[in-house]
Amino acid sequence: MSWSSRRRLIPPLLLTVVALLQIVLARTANLTAWKGGGFGMFATLDHGAYRGVDIVVDAPDRSESLEIPPSLEIAAARAAAFPVDWLMRDLAEGVAARERRYERAVSRVTVTAWRADFDRATLRASERPLRTFVYDVP
Amino acid sequence: MRSDRPLRSSTWSLPAAAVASADPSVETVDRPIQAPTSGAAYFDAALRLSAIALLLRPMGSWLVRPAILAIAVLVLISPRLLRSPLMWGALAGLTAIRIAEDWPLADNHIYLLGYWLLAVALSLRASDALGTIAFASRWLVGLAFAFAVLWKAVLSPDFIDGRFFRVTLLTDPRFGAMAQLIGGLSREELDANREALALMPDGAELLDPPVIHEPPRLAMLAKASTFGILALEAAVALLMLAPAVRIQVWWRHAALLLFCGITYAFAPVAGFGWLLLAMGLAQLEPRQIWLGRAYVAGFVVVLFYGELPWAELLVEWWR
Repeated sequence: MSWSSRRRLIPPLLLTVVALLQIVLARTANLTAWKGGGFGMFATLDHGAYRGVDIVVDAPDRSESLEIPPSLEIAAARAAAFPVDWLMRDLAEGVAARERRYERAVSRVTVTAWRADFDRATLRASERPLRTFVYDVP
Repeated sequence: MRSDRPLRSSTWSLPAAAVASADPSVETVDRPIQAPTSGAAYFDAALRLSAIALLLRPMGSWLVRPAILAIAVLVLISPRLLRSPLMWGALAGLTAIRIAEDWPLADNHIYLLGYWLLAVALSLRASDALGTIAFASRWLVGLAFAFAVLWKAVLSPDFIDGRFFRVTLLTDPRFGAMAQLIGGLSREELDANREALALMPDGAELLDPPVIHEPPRLAMLAKASTFGILALEAAVALLMLAPAVRIQVWWRHAALLLFCGITYAFAPVAGFGWLLLAMGLAQLEPRQIWLGRAYVAGFVVVLFYGELPWAELLVEWWR
């Protein structure tokens, strides 16, 4: 097979490799099926609308649950879509930096990623934690 | 048979009618648009539709968006740049950067767009550009649909048991008009259902939970959507991936056009529809004139689907 013939295989092969990798990550590391190039969109309720992260900030004189601020929405969406250490750490570091900017004490940030499960019969939804990451602020 | 002639920009020429002359003494022939006489016409049309799609749905941050838009404009206005592998390679690279910059948040059609742009760039350097792009297009569409079917039929239990469409029709505002129009829900019932389906914290339960109202028409719509979309996607995957000797090639295009005609009337991802239609167009032979027209018409129809709130207007009119 000539190089000219072989190179037409590159895009389909790339698609296949990325899609298989996405399936592996979805099955082993909670990557949402809708993202990552595996073509799992419109296949499951496990997507951005039914995933989220809860943030709790601790300090010697406070323990407070925070709403996601607009400046950290993308970091939160990334951590919810793929709750792995580096993305949860990115979010936690962003939260800690923001708290310091506002001169609020922070010694620990706890990030919990969750998804919604829908009952097969009643369709009632409930949150199920996927992963919790604790960041001790240096 | 496809031509083995490479599609270099130097071999490209404009039709006489399209050449504007500054000299009034030079006659220009005002001819009507002709049916394509070579596969290159569909190839060019597919590239132009791809560029138009990039302009209609700008993507990415300031890092890539201006460059993508600029290249899309340039390839549209310059026949030489339309056939430049460098331009399409740059678009593929910028798409890869767009995917990487907030990974994993990019939608799947951005990945498909990246593969498609890469395929265009590679085909423009191939000795058989038309055959190369037709091959890549067919396999990219076939594989994307095959993975979509794998997710729906095997990997997602909440799709095949109907939960996905039951919940989506009730809670996703983009499908609200469909739930009212075809599912027979009233506006009030839809609002009440959305409230009833609000998320509860882990382990929490209401003493007197509200009842979710699912009329038989809505249940039937959810079931038809579940199995209809699965069957249609499986058909596109099989027809695209099956060798041409085993099937009528015409069926491939019919299935893809049918999928786009139905799906993008409701699914809010016109960019995906345009991409699939451009990729379908790139597979056509010169004699398939009606299919060529159908793909271009499909592109315009998806544009209207995306820009016109037709279902909401129908719901209002129906009241």
